[in-house]
Amino acid sequence: MKKIGLISGMVILLIIVTGCMQPNNNEKNEVAKETQGEKTDLILAVGSEPDTGFDPTTGWGRYGSPLFQSTLLKRDNDLNIVNDVATDYEISDNGLTWKVELRKDVVFTDGEPLTSEDVKYTFETARDGGSVLDLSVVEKVEVEGDFTVTFTLKEPRSTFIQSLITTGIVPKHAHGDGYAENPIGSGPFQFVQWDKGQQLIIEKNQNYYEEQPYFEKITFLFLGEDAAFARAQAGEVDMAYIPAAFSNQQVPGMRLESVQTVDNRGVQFPYVKSGQTTEEGYPIGNDVTADPAIRKAINIAVDRDALVEGVLEGHGTPAYTSVDGLPWWNPETVIEDGNMEAASELLEKAGWIKGDNGILQKDGLKAEFTLLYSASDVTRQSLAIAFADMMKPLGISILVDGKSWDEIEKMMYSNAVLFGWGSQDPLEMYNLYSSKNAGVEYFNTGFYQNSKVDAYMDLALTATDQSEANEYWKKAQWDGSTGLSAKGDAPWAWLVNVNHLYLVDDQLDIGDQRIHPHGHGWPVTDNLVEWKWK
Amino acid sequence: MQLSNKQLLKQPLNKRQRTLLVCIGLSIVVCVVVLTGILLDENRIATNLEVRNSPPSLDHLFGTDWLGRDMFSRTLMGLSLSIGVGLTGAIGSATISVILGLVAATMGKVADSIVTWLIDLFLSVPHLVSLILIAFAFGGGFKGIVLGIALTHWPSLARVIRSEVMQVRSLDFVQVSKKMGKSRWWITKEHMLPHIIPQMLVGVLLLFPHAILHEAAVTFLGLGLSPQEPAIGIILSESMRYLSVGMWWLAFFPGICLLFIVRMFDKIGDNLRMLIDPHHAHR
Repeated sequence: MKKIGLISGMVILLIIVTGCMQPNNNEKNEVAKETQGEKTDLILAVGSEPDTGFDPTTGWGRYGSPLFQSTLLKRDNDLNIVNDVATDYEISDNGLTWKVELRKDVVFTDGEPLTSEDVKYTFETARDGGSVLDLSVVEKVEVEGDFTVTFTLKEPRSTFIQSLITTGIVPKHAHGDGYAENPIGSGPFQFVQWDKGQQLIIEKNQNYYEEQPYFEKITFLFLGEDAAFARAQAGEVDMAYIPAAFSNQQVPGMRLESVQTVDNRGVQFPYVKSGQTTEEGYPIGNDVTADPAIRKAINIAVDRDALVEGVLEGHGTPAYTSVDGLPWWNPETVIEDGNMEAASELLEKAGWIKGDNGILQKDGLKAEFTLLYSASDVTRQSLAIAFADMMKPLGISILVDGKSWDEIEKMMYSNAVLFGWGSQDPLEMYNLYSSKNAGVEYFNTGFYQNSKVDAYMDLALTATDQSEANEYWKKAQWDGSTGLSAKGDAPWAWLVNVNHLYLVDDQLDIGDQRIHPHGHGWPVTDNLVEWKWK
Repeated sequence: MQLSNKQLLKQPLNKRQRTLLVCIGLSIVVCVVVLTGILLDENRIATNLEVRNSPPSLDHLFGTDWLGRDMFSRTLMGLSLSIGVGLTGAIGSATISVILGLVAATMGKVADSIVTWLIDLFLSVPHLVSLILIAFAFGGGFKGIVLGIALTHWPSLARVIRSEVMQVRSLDFVQVSKKMGKSRWWITKEHMLPHIIPQMLVGVLLLFPHAILHEAAVTFLGLGLSPQEPAIGIILSESMRYLSVGMWWLAFFPGICLLFIVRMFDKIGDNLRMLIDPHHAHR
């Protein structure tokens, strides 16, 4: 009796096990078949989940393409501004009113046409919602007929054009509480399904007004970098984003795409001497970094190429400003770095003398300061440690300390901080360097101030023409005698731009990638419409 | 019969002698680790971007990490930091448990029930949870971890000491002292304390491995120390990222070393107990 029981038990077990394995085999066969024939769907693991859903009025689409919605303007692959829903835009001479003409053939996926009322509704909602999109400069939005919109600004703002590029238009008639989980738009793709914490499935929008995307269906898997890499190794995704540490690994059938970015990392120095405190009582300023010689010497001495090679495994570029490679970047800001002798000379001239333990001193002040970094970020940690070690031979002692952002917020006005920025909007440069932003959020924590730079940036903001604005942005960086770059006041030591790394199926063509902003992942979807099989 | 010197040497050592030798040997190893860890220059773990990710070699016994830092030096420094944290934590814990044990056993019923309740309270929550909470409440960092360990590891030792003191209290000479009008404090100081010193010593040594492991666990979880500091837990958690790339030496050597040190303390504690404890001493 016992034996029979045992045998039947084993048989049952066998059935269960083989039963479990059956579907897996089938799945594999299907995948194999699909890759041989024409496969029209795509599985991507390229980013983390947008926490707030897919509502452009609360920030969706700031990085990368909003996918479901279309925008008024967009950038082409060379970062030039071209029309999307708009057919034309005009800025008044005083820079205060922007008149935008719309296409007449745009329809939402529910069949309703996109009109100027929708545009008005989108911008007003986004402004009043107080979201991460800063639209407070918009005074009013007016509608003339169905296809003309006029924006009136409180003050001239050339960077307002960025809002027209990034803000996806939502349908007024179908925008409500559940919109972020079930978006309707007029963009190249339409929403199918979102399993929170797992995946997003989208489909091609058959009624899209411009060239149709190549792929019928795209699935985004929300995985961490490690998990994405594991899936890529298993051949389960067509594309995965990976950290630099994995870049030396070969995955059969996939290639490594290293995309240039302005996703920069740099050290912000307290620019003023110590003594003051913020309203909350946090100390401001640092006597060591307030000395321009120290800041400049660090900028000259740091070997940015070595940091790129050593910390980023070669997947990055040296950074000289926060806007490297963008249309408003001034190439004259590139300095010759890794030059210890020149740096030492500069310090000597400024009166810094080597003390006993090899640390420089000046009037009893030791050349020593603390560099804070976000403890949870390995790249920043590595950069901070390597950077501090690089400065040791120079005689500047940098004490590295990893903290949480909550702790950093209390100390960031009086200590150097390793920050990361990078945006396709020149307004970011204004935020980082304008004296108006001293001590505001994470902008200009060093209390940098240069009235000439401020003046240039104000001129850039009030310019009515983009190329004119760009000229002023460039002058703010370096005008031949002063500026916010390392050649001028050097309130920052920019270190590197971190390339974004993706493992991509050998057959997949992801087009020409533009210079990516801060944030690994979504920016790659910017030109998703152009992707195809080779 | 007289034994010649040679014969003496050949004769196997008895258990007591062997235990003593093992104890001394292990203590020397621990001291060496701590001393080298303290004496090692900070420059030994400076980044050297030219020798990144190199496997173990004669230059770098434990290999180097992704910034070219020598893993051998980092491991030693991490171990000595861990031992330091463990030592201060264990001593703090032992002090608390002695005080509470004595209070419970000598200060009357109310004090006893309060202390027993405290012990039960702390024992009912997993160590790691209360440790994290306390470390966090004290603002993290070195101070937070040491305080956390000191404040969480005392209950079991306090319980042992309490029962020991209760036993001693009922002995004749204590009763006699009491009858002779000696104060409670005098009896505690002169009669109880000397009795519980062996238990205390062994207790501290056996707390040690716990304290070190918990320190490693807390830093592994990213609480407490800043990630550039060479603590074993931090080194181990960093190396997790690089395991899938095949850099096994980052986790293997520090892990093995931690295991060895913990085992050593365990062994020393056990051996010491054997030497001191009268029940074992005769064997």
